[in-house]
Amino acid sequence: MNAAVATSAPPRSRRFRYATWLPLGLVTIFVAAAFLAPYVALYDPNQQNLLARLKAPGFVSRGVTYWLGSDELGRDLLSRLIHGARISLFVAFASVILSGTVGVLLGMLAGYMRGVVEIIVMRVVDIFLSIPAILLAIITVAVLGPGLVNVIVVLALTRWPRYARVAYGQTLGVANMPYVRLATFMGAGPGRILFRHILPNIIGAVTVVATLEFGLMVLFEAGLSFLGLGVQPPTASWGAMLSTGRNYLATAWWIATFPGLCLFLLVLAINLLGDDLRDRFDPRLQ
Amino acid sequence: MIPMKNIRPMLASVAIGALLILGMTDPASAGRDRLVIDLVNEPSSLDPHLQWNPDSYYVYRNIFDNLVTRDDEGKIAPQVATEWKQLSDTEIEFTIRDDITFHDRKKLTPEDVVFSVNRITDPKFGSPQLGQFNKIVKAEVSGPNKVKLTTDGPYPALLAQLVKLSIVPKHVVEAVGKDAFNTKPVGSGPYAFGDWQRGVQVTLKRNDAYWGQKGVFPEAAFRAVPDAATRVANLQAGSSDLGVSLDSDLAAQLKSSGRAKPLSVLTERIAYLRLNTAKPPFDNVDVRRAVAHAIDKEGLIQGILGGYDKSSEIMLTPVHFGWMEGIQAPGYNPEQAKELVAKAGDAGKAPIELATAPVFDQRIVQAVQQMLTDAGLNVTINTSDMASYLKRAQSGPETVPTLSYGRWSCACQDADGVLFPLLHTSSGWSAYRNPDADKALEAGRETLDEKKRLDAYGKVHGIVASEVPLVPLYQSAIIYGATNALQWKPTPNESMFLNRMDWKE
Amino acid sequence: MQAFLLKRLGQAIVTIFGVATLIFFLQRLTGDPTYLLVPETATPADIEAMRRSLGFDRPIIVQYLAFLTDLAQLDLGRSVIQNVPVTTIIASRLPYTVMLAAGALIVACGIGIPVGILLALWRNSPVAKLLASLVLAAQSMPTFWSGILMILIFAVTLGWLPPSSTGGFENLIMPSIALGLLSMATFARITRTALLDELSKDYVRTARSRGAGLGWILVRHLARNASIPIITVAALEISNLLAGAVIVETVFAWPGLGQVTVQSILARDFLVVQGVVLLGALVTIGLNVLADILYSIVDPRIRLGGVR
Repeated sequence: MNAAVATSAPPRSRRFRYATWLPLGLVTIFVAAAFLAPYVALYDPNQQNLLARLKAPGFVSRGVTYWLGSDELGRDLLSRLIHGARISLFVAFASVILSGTVGVLLGMLAGYMRGVVEIIVMRVVDIFLSIPAILLAIITVAVLGPGLVNVIVVLALTRWPRYARVAYGQTLGVANMPYVRLATFMGAGPGRILFRHILPNIIGAVTVVATLEFGLMVLFEAGLSFLGLGVQPPTASWGAMLSTGRNYLATAWWIATFPGLCLFLLVLAINLLGDDLRDRFDPRLQ
Repeated sequence: MIPMKNIRPMLASVAIGALLILGMTDPASAGRDRLVIDLVNEPSSLDPHLQWNPDSYYVYRNIFDNLVTRDDEGKIAPQVATEWKQLSDTEIEFTIRDDITFHDRKKLTPEDVVFSVNRITDPKFGSPQLGQFNKIVKAEVSGPNKVKLTTDGPYPALLAQLVKLSIVPKHVVEAVGKDAFNTKPVGSGPYAFGDWQRGVQVTLKRNDAYWGQKGVFPEAAFRAVPDAATRVANLQAGSSDLGVSLDSDLAAQLKSSGRAKPLSVLTERIAYLRLNTAKPPFDNVDVRRAVAHAIDKEGLIQGILGGYDKSSEIMLTPVHFGWMEGIQAPGYNPEQAKELVAKAGDAGKAPIELATAPVFDQRIVQAVQQMLTDAGLNVTINTSDMASYLKRAQSGPETVPTLSYGRWSCACQDADGVLFPLLHTSSGWSAYRNPDADKALEAGRETLDEKKRLDAYGKVHGIVASEVPLVPLYQSAIIYGATNALQWKPTPNESMFLNRMDWKE
Repeated sequence: MQAFLLKRLGQAIVTIFGVATLIFFLQRLTGDPTYLLVPETATPADIEAMRRSLGFDRPIIVQYLAFLTDLAQLDLGRSVIQNVPVTTIIASRLPYTVMLAAGALIVACGIGIPVGILLALWRNSPVAKLLASLVLAAQSMPTFWSGILMILIFAVTLGWLPPSSTGGFENLIMPSIALGLLSMATFARITRTALLDELSKDYVRTARSRGAGLGWILVRHLARNASIPIITVAALEISNLLAGAVIVETVFAWPGLGQVTVQSILARDFLVVQGVVLLGALVTIGLNVLADILYSIVDPRIRLGGVR
């Protein structure tokens, strides 16, 4: 019964088969839906039909088959779901890239150059972490106006400090490594050091954080829609559909359930992949 | 697995937390003795002169009596004043009841009425409602139980505005000051202030010495429940008796629940579209008419609003003074709309920003956008929060959005409060410049002669119908949720008089 | 350590000053509350008068200096919307947020930590894997979704719990669970990692190689050493919880600080927002310093400033 000690683990490849491929497959389906939306979706996601509101899955009207039902304006839920994949994935992806780039750059700079740079960057990180995300979101929207791009900006603004912290901590550990010191001694400039030596060594930890952030961004976009700060109507975002659908749970459960299921499955798949990645990088489990 | 030394402080904090919760509030048990009402937000202030929002109004209106009130049919009725006489175009004299006492047992005197008027019109006091009363230039006691108000020129909307003037006790306000009065208001109404747990609930207790119709419930508690779906859940679970502001779909859910029912009334709110006539494509009157032709009002009302609301041809509702039949506004005619837009050519394709805020019915906004897009216009929705929406909406024709959707209420049931701000050149809300309209609007507010006023407003309605700076959509209904045993008739001015409610036997 | 704390205190003051200034100017970029306070029928003159009586017509530098002066006297000002001191508002809402955060933390730890232990010790058992997936699933749902589902099931349909607001202990249950769901997976993960870390250490290997089972002394050591990273994470997770509390408080009408912050931001009630943000900044900075201290205990290479 000594399963506790790591050395008795069965071979990795067999153990991780389901844990890796199932979520990966799920994510691929969503990504494919996002890219192929205009070709795969049966109908225009914004086409309303006020006479076919709140109809259950399977309803047919005027030649339109509502496979997953219709929403509060008579639009086809399935088409909106497929197009919604674009929004959720695009917003999450773009905000992760944006916040990750800014955060990692600043974190690396702080961890490598130390001194004043470190103090300034980490204090700015502290300041940003102290401002409630919701405040930043509302102010950004009030100043810049609403819309898809600004949602991405808002998400990036609130999350970059987390990448900065991770990059900072990791850089501190790596910067003292012998080969980095050697490179400095050999005359390599800071840019080269940062991008050739430090970045490749911290990218693993950063990627793990990024995958988890991806799932969070999908959820946060939904939260912003709930608070009325997300993408503009009538854009089909899962978060907005879920938020509106809450009011119909007793009368038209499909409006919230299917987007909720999609959100849930996507984030779950990403989290599973993230956990898997984390396990692969974890020296304790080698 | 948590080390001992960490467990003890954790347990202590948990225990303290639990005790705090248990000791803090007595559970809001709905039932015969205690009416529980779910509002959207908690009141911002219970001082009747210090704020202007429905959540505060719902509560403090039961603590205070107003100079006059409206009965359930919407007619102006006596309250603190039993009768009134117009002495001249600018002077009106009220006879004050002599059997009213405040909650501290002191009598309500004409001095209190004068004090209240002066307080609300004092610029130093800073009342948001100042603009509604500042045509009153003098208030004085003019005899035993008589008060005379003098206005700066004829003010036809005076009585309608006085419906909103609450009478506060001079001796209390002067003794405790503005801040203390705000947290412990003293009035003469059917319910007295009991207790206010900030963020949780405001409790009122029945005033058994009330001069008028006494309330049925010994106690009433007003809670803040921002989410509409949660308000419905509270009604269905029986933990609240009355909930405000539901939409038609939630009302349908309530109907089928068996435990609670929707109660609705057509209010004085008029839903409308405002077109910025200074910017393309709405500088072209044909395109504006196309907008009016493109909107299927009945489709919106029956399809989305559950039939509660009522379509309207003019910018007023039947409960307004100045409402009239017979004005012909452009009707629903999608073919005509398409033609007019096509005729405008490229100018008709200019991008249109449809500005709105989350508090407005988003289903309607999206449906309107779809209808206009079907007619060939290029409309994008722009939702911003209420503060930003209001700021932009009053910023003048250059920056006002091309198209905006809103629901207007002046809380006065008078045409002057609706048409003047939306159309007159001097108003921040108006993106319309028409000297004829300006003249007619001024004529409407400068006389007490009802016939002359109706003539003037008839002209304005005609201008709106043909020039289409505004598209009136429908008279908006408000839907409350009430537990089945509650008997109440909501009024068009959205008042919530606890002493007009009862339990069904 | 002394020098470190002093340095951090200095930095904390700078940070808080930075936060206050940033929030001050950012907020004023969004306008002022005047439009929300006056009736629709207010004329531009009425609006100007209101703005003047609230003090928003003064030049922004003057307003800023007034704000700083008040702050130096520890006066957070008055809410223009609610007409009471900001401290009254914060004091009346703070206990509810603390209760909610505590409840959520108990739920998250109460489920997350045992699952983490299971995962560390019996990694391959199907039960552990199932629990791990469930915990992960809990973190994959938006709180407004899980919140309204719980209300529908437990309050409306089954009638076991009250749907919203405060009132008694039972009102805290659903909001705590809704909020705690978010952090369960984090605690499971960190517990598993910390335990695995400990289990691979020499003293454990020595004891096991001598044939000792997971005896009580071993468990005490394991618990004590593994708890440091767990507590570090808990300190950081609290700020996540406070952020997530905003939505939970809205759905369940729980009158905490999150709800009042959102409402005040939307109502442009600047001073309330400043007060809450400053309080939050103090808490976050305090927790970060705490986490840093604990972190440096674990990894001396990073100790408090580091060496080049």
